[in-house]
Amino acid sequence: MAIEIHPLEQFQIERLIPLHIGRLDVSYTNSALLMTIVVVLVTALLVLGTRKRALVPGRWQSLAEMSYEFVADMIDTNVGHGGREFFPFVFTLFMFILFANFLGMIPYSYTVTSQIVVTFALAAVVFIGVTIIGIVRHGFRFLRLFVPQGVPAVLLLLLVPIELLSYFIRPFTLAIRLFANMLAGHTMLAIFAGFAASIGLLGILPMGIDILLVALEVLVAALQAYVFAILTCLYLSDAIHLH
Amino acid sequence: MSEGGPRDPLARLGEKIDKARAERVRRQPVAADRTNLQQGLGLGLRIGIELVVAVVVATGLGWAIDRWLGTRPWGMIVLFFLGVAAGMLNVYRAVTRVSGAVGYGQRPGSGAGSKRWDDEDC
Repeated sequence: MAIEIHPLEQFQIERLIPLHIGRLDVSYTNSALLMTIVVVLVTALLVLGTRKRALVPGRWQSLAEMSYEFVADMIDTNVGHGGREFFPFVFTLFMFILFANFLGMIPYSYTVTSQIVVTFALAAVVFIGVTIIGIVRHGFRFLRLFVPQGVPAVLLLLLVPIELLSYFIRPFTLAIRLFANMLAGHTMLAIFAGFAASIGLLGILPMGIDILLVALEVLVAALQAYVFAILTCLYLSDAIHLH
Repeated sequence: MSEGGPRDPLARLGEKIDKARAERVRRQPVAADRTNLQQGLGLGLRIGIELVVAVVVATGLGWAIDRWLGTRPWGMIVLFFLGVAAGMLNVYRAVTRVSGAVGYGQRPGSGAGSKRWDDEDC
């Protein structure tokens, strides 16, 4: 009579529309479907929300304006001078991750950001983009980022590899942080839900914990989007204002 | 007669906004607390993974280099320690930069710091 618990089943990729280009599998999956929904929702919120252009914003316009101001503030405080031109990039990242995380909280939906492919692709875009911006802005002097100033030449032998490593680790930490948080959180939710289903009346206890965990996960969902965006800002600021 | 109060809804709204703003300025410390909490949480979630990933990625890179060049186990050993150092450096940077941005260092010995954290604990 034991109810089977599959806490990892929720991360299963399913091919909704099988598609192949040559040997390449480009099927439209449940993950891709969720990403499409995210993009549509974000676009709808911003386009429909600001359509009226009311001087006194309504609910939707308020929401759109608040998200705009939140990211604009973040860029002003973390990138500072010359950061506003990267607003569209940071804003898109933030809204995409935020909506993907929140949509993942809906039961039976799919958490796109629990796939390391997705988070690593986002992180790689940030990393490569920031590096290119740095090189375009500063040319060869960009390499000074890896050479700490006022250090004896002998120590540089040790410090330059450390700086290089700490720079190239950025996309990994960026990707793994988001992915691990979402994966762990949602697995935990499923495990407690499984307990609740399998131990009968006593299941009320894990059920209660699950309710609290849902609240925590909502916080984590918002916070991880915030952390991703703010780190993008910090990396941008590194590349723009070379020390 | 026209002094009786602005009939224009926009002007009235302007007054309202000004009042609300003044109110908000009065309660500024509370707002500051909230951003502190938010940034603190963000920072806490950030730095935990920073160290671990640095060590794991660096060690993995060392292992790959060893396989490629056949220098086992030296690449892995050297890169493990470099990874630890890089991870610590990243954590140190994260902590010092954010604290600078938030302004922990700007109010030295004012006694406000400990009180702020008590408020946020709930």
